[in-house]
Amino acid sequence: MVVKLKVWRQAGPGQPGKLVDYVADKVHPDMSFLEMLDVVNEGLIRKGDDPIAFDSDCREGICGSCGVVIDGIPHGPDKGATTCQVHMRRFKNGDTITIEPFRARAFPVLKDLVVNRSAFDRIIAAGGYVSMNVGGAPDANSLPIAKAMADQAMDSAQCIGCGACVAACKNAAAHLFTSAKISHLGVLPQGEPERDRRVVRMVEQMDREGFGSCSNEGECEAVCPKKISISNIARMNRDFLRAIV
Amino acid sequence: MTLQKALSSSIGSKFLIALTGLFLFLFLVGHLAGNLLFMLGADAFNNYAHALISNPLILVAEGGLIAIFLLHIFKTVTMFVANRRARPDRYAAKKWAKTKNDRSRKTLSSTTMILTGTITLLFLVTHLATFKYGPYYETTEGIRDLYRLQFAVFSNPGYVAFYLVAMGVIGFHLWHGISSAAQSFGVDSPRWTPRLIWTGRVFTVAVSLGFALLPIYTFVMGRN
Ligand code: FES
Repeated sequence: MVVKLKVWRQAGPGQPGKLVDYVADKVHPDMSFLEMLDVVNEGLIRKGDDPIAFDSDCREGICGSCGVVIDGIPHGPDKGATTCQVHMRRFKNGDTITIEPFRARAFPVLKDLVVNRSAFDRIIAAGGYVSMNVGGAPDANSLPIAKAMADQAMDSAQCIGCGACVAACKNAAAHLFTSAKISHLGVLPQGEPERDRRVVRMVEQMDREGFGSCSNEGECEAVCPKKISISNIARMNRDFLRAIV
Repeated sequence: MTLQKALSSSIGSKFLIALTGLFLFLFLVGHLAGNLLFMLGADAFNNYAHALISNPLILVAEGGLIAIFLLHIFKTVTMFVANRRARPDRYAAKKWAKTKNDRSRKTLSSTTMILTGTITLLFLVTHLATFKYGPYYETTEGIRDLYRLQFAVFSNPGYVAFYLVAMGVIGFHLWHGISSAAQSFGVDSPRWTPRLIWTGRVFTVAVSLGFALLPIYTFVMGRN
C-alpha cells in the first residue's frame, strides 16, 4: 500500500518547524507504524537527506519512549496502544497521515518528533518514591495488603510515563501522569507515611514545570495506552486537599 | 506549604473554582425558588421580594455573592491564560480522542466554559440593569411592584428570546460545571461517578428549564 505523510520537521529546540510531505510506497499492511517510518528514513538516508527523528526503544508498548500525534490523536487511532503498537493495516491505501510531536511548553521539541520529557523525571524526583531502611529482603506476606488495594496500586503503576496525557489535554496538563505516580504508592502501606508530603511536592513540581491545569475532561484517559483512569486525579485532588488542611 | 500557596496551585485553584461555582449554583436554585412565587400572583411575589430587599442582611448576602463571583472569574481567567501558555505551539491537526467506549467527558460544553461564562457575565449585567436597577413601580401598599415590572419587560418578545438564550448558555455552562466541580473536590467512585454526572445534568436541565419557563409564562399571561 501507499500512504502520504505530513511530518513535522524541526531542526532543533526553539527553531521554526513545518509539516513536510512524504510518500511512503511499498508499505506492507503488517508493518508497524514505526517500521513504516524506518523505511521512509532509509529512503531519505539513501538520498542523502536528514532522516525523520523519532523516539522508540522497546517497540512493544512497555517502555513509554515512543509517542507521536497521529492524525490528531496521541499514539494514533488504537485504544490502549502506544505508537509502536499501531499497525499500518489500521490505515487505508492512499490515506494521508499527519504526524506531529507531543506539544506542550513543558515538553520542548528536541528535533522533529522527539520531545524532551525530563519534566516527568523531575516530578518523580520531587516525591515519587518511598524512603525505607534497606536490609535483608522482608518475608513475603509479612505486610498484608488487601487484594482490592493491590489491584488499585497495580492499575496506577501501569503508567509508562509516555506523556500522551499531556499531549491530548487541551491545557497540556500532567495531572494523569502525576496522579498515577502518586496513587501507586499512596494506596499501599509502604507509601502511607510520606503520603501528604509526596502529593504536595509532586504537585508543586508539576506546576513549576509549566504544565496546565486539569479541566476534568478525561481526554487523557481516552488516549492513555495503559488506560489509566482519571479516578487517579480525583484521588490526587483529595490527597492534596487533605494534606494542606 | 502555606495555605495561600496551596490555593494558588493548579489543584487549589480548581478547588476554589469548584467551591465558588457550587455556591453560585446554590444561589441559582434559591433564586429560582423565589421566582417561581411569581406564578402564585402579585401579592405573593411582591411581598417575598419586599421581605428580601428590606432585610438589612441583604447587603451582606449581596457582598458575599459579588465576592464569590469575582473569585470565580479571577481564578478561571488566570487559569485559562496559564493553560493557553502551557501549549504555545498549536497542533496542525488535533482531534477529540473521545469515543463511545471510554470515559472522556469532553463535550461542546466542556470546551466552551470560558465563553459561556463570559456570556453569563454579560447577561448578568443586563439582567441587573433591567430588574434591580430598572423602572420603579409601586403597589398600592407602597412596596416595589416587581410583578408589574416583570410583565412590562416580558411583554417584549425580544427580551423573552434574550432570556431564553441566556438560560440555555447558563445550562450549557453547568452541564460540565457540576460534575467537573465534583471531580475537583476529589469526589469519585467507580459506582457513583457516572450517576453523579447524570444527576448534575438533570439538575442543570431542571434549573435552566425552570428559569426559561418564567419569561414564557409571563409573556403568554400578558397576552391574555
Ligand atoms: S517503543 Fe517502547 S512503548 Fe513504544
